[in-house]
Amino acid sequence: MDYVHLRRQAASLRKGLFDQGYLDEQFYQLEDLQDDASPNFVEEVVTLFFRDSARLMANIDQALDKCVKDFNKLDVYMQQLKGSCTSIGASRMKTECTAFRECCRDENIEGCMRSFQKIKREHSVLRQKLESYFQLLRQAGPVECATRPNK
Amino acid sequence: MRVQEGINSMAGADQFPIGMRVLAVDDDPVCLKLLENLLLRCQYHVTTTNQAVEALKLLRENKDRFDLVISDVIMPDMDGFKLLELVGLEMDLPVIMLSGNGGTENVMKGITHGACDYLLKPVRLEELKNIWQHVVRRKFRHRERNTNLSTEDPEFDKLPNSNPSHAQGQHGQNSSSDNSGRYSKKRKDQNEPEEEDGEDNGYDNEEPDPSAQKKPRVVWSVELHRKFVAAVNQLGIDKAVPKRILELMNVEKLTRENVASHLQKYRLYLKRLSAVASQQASLAAAFGARDPSSYLRMGMFEGLQSYHPLASSSQIPSSLTSFQATGGPLLNRSNPATLGLPGLSPSLSNNSLSSNPLNELNKFQLVNLPGNSYHANLLHDQLPSELSFSNVTNNALLPQTSQDCMQPRQSAVAATSFHAKPITFENRCLTKAENQSLEIPSSSNDIFLGRDIKCQSSIFNEESKLLSFGGASQNNTKLQWRQDDLHESTLLLSSYLDSQLPNNSCNTMADPVTIAATGSGMVQGLNGGVFNQREGVATSGIIGSSISGLTAMTNHDSQLKQREEYNLGVQKVQGGYGSNGCSMDGLLNSVIKMERDDISYSDGDIGCDLYPLGACM
Repeated sequence: MDYVHLRRQAASLRKGLFDQGYLDEQFYQLEDLQDDASPNFVEEVVTLFFRDSARLMANIDQALDKCVKDFNKLDVYMQQLKGSCTSIGASRMKTECTAFRECCRDENIEGCMRSFQKIKREHSVLRQKLESYFQLLRQAGPVECATRPNK
Repeated sequence: MRVQEGINSMAGADQFPIGMRVLAVDDDPVCLKLLENLLLRCQYHVTTTNQAVEALKLLRENKDRFDLVISDVIMPDMDGFKLLELVGLEMDLPVIMLSGNGGTENVMKGITHGACDYLLKPVRLEELKNIWQHVVRRKFRHRERNTNLSTEDPEFDKLPNSNPSHAQGQHGQNSSSDNSGRYSKKRKDQNEPEEEDGEDNGYDNEEPDPSAQKKPRVVWSVELHRKFVAAVNQLGIDKAVPKRILELMNVEKLTRENVASHLQKYRLYLKRLSAVASQQASLAAAFGARDPSSYLRMGMFEGLQSYHPLASSSQIPSSLTSFQATGGPLLNRSNPATLGLPGLSPSLSNNSLSSNPLNELNKFQLVNLPGNSYHANLLHDQLPSELSFSNVTNNALLPQTSQDCMQPRQSAVAATSFHAKPITFENRCLTKAENQSLEIPSSSNDIFLGRDIKCQSSIFNEESKLLSFGGASQNNTKLQWRQDDLHESTLLLSSYLDSQLPNNSCNTMADPVTIAATGSGMVQGLNGGVFNQREGVATSGIIGSSISGLTAMTNHDSQLKQREEYNLGVQKVQGGYGSNGCSMDGLLNSVIKMERDDISYSDGDIGCDLYPLGACM
């Protein structure tokens, strides 16, 4: 029952992520790919994502700090980040990345910085939520995968 | 990060597409992991790497190790497009591009660099489930080419009797008989550096030598023809009698009868050219705006379109007949600018070509490449100097609306079809479409054309743009001359490779244009006419001539030389052969002319590597 409760919590957390727009359909794809052969696929990908995105964001931070205003470079970084976000379905982050790129196009450095702050916030929120989610799943029992019914 | 390939690669071969070996390249680890899993879910065999350099290394290590490559566009160590080109060029593997950016420009770029598909991130499973089609398509093309080659007797030329097998739309669905066997072999062949020889079972390279021909026929090689034409000119076309010509030519083993029949064809050819020329002039007038070349181009297409199998001339292989549809000058056709490509492409693409072989022509797009000095030469006077047939690959011709279209829209095919085998045009074709065509080689349908085409392409492309005969990935392979920036090359022959040409191999020209004929395609495009292997491509004559120049590049030097001469001779002829030939001829002529000047016999290179210049690294 405890497990049931935990699972319910996990499910509700997950639903919340979708409802609030943190995640989109792409995340379903990830979940779909999880199976017996890769039982922790989703978590692995998400972990990978956060690690890689942290790296990218550090690069962007650095670039912004230098105030060189190399918009091309910023755009390239952001494109990469956006690509990652798209791949896992990090919807809000993706939107913010797009906004950032637009600022780059407009060569609006302040806009870029503001946008980037938002991205960082979104990133950290998403990370927290997903970490909680996975933790719940783990606690809820190894039997059940994130969304799959019992096999 | 590289995942070791655990699955035995052979296992997949039988259960294709299961076990298809894919190499995935993406610098983004998240995407890469996702992609990997998706591919595994499709039951493919996956190898991943996050570096393009590493990917190339893997591919080069063993060209036969993978069936397909999927690559991201934006990568830190190498541009995805560049990787794409390299892979297509060196290994002739289908490459799928992946990108988060689906803008038209990017997609176009991918296609022009030879990608056989362009997927947007995030990639979906359904899309990946279908990617195996690209592998199959390519193999079919190769197979066809192979089959054609093998089934033909040494003469490349398509004798009517020998053609049937080829003529039947081998397009794609090839007679399966030896397909499977050939299939894998083909791949291997493909993978090997084909440049040197038409690898396809050495179709063109080995080249059936005259002695292997079934019937003893005189091969009207370029040189021979050149001599012939010189003799004729010396005597005066009206006064040229076989006996005197023979004397002047002073060639051993040439009989009066040979000369006589050749002369007859030549006369018809000339007649046709002049008719075409005048028509073109009128067309040009009609079209107004564009420069003559554009008309011509259009005319070409049109003409091509109207090519119908040449029924009349027995000599002409079926393909030729197609050119000749009506036997009238190309321009006769309703479409005015048969020659002109750009305008016509749309029409062409719509299968205007009624004739079967010519269908491919539809795909031709004669693209007028501006700036090509050769233009003028190409068509002699009448035809616009630039005739570039750019073959639109894969999908229906992308109508190239204007000369600008030159850039080959060629799809990946071009790029991927590097191996195109040398295009063989039958010499015969030249001769005639109906009687109009000048049958150049009375005897051998050697790949004269094919090779020539190669040459031609080079000629056309001064800058050596890549002519890729790329057969479209689809069955209808088309030869497409793809030039990355065609400007120079005047003639983009996009020949539709269809089963017709047994081996359309595109030889990459050392310089300029490498025509990659892929698959069965025939280099029909080349001449604007269709080269049906079988059918003596009427135009091929022209092309042949021009190609001869090109052929120099091909493997068979001697033959090439002859061709060259022939071409030169033909050069004089303007216009195309009859229906198709005419326009092509003109083009070819001009081409030849150009070629003449700088025909580079660069062997080796040519091995059908169609390579987009851009792609060339």
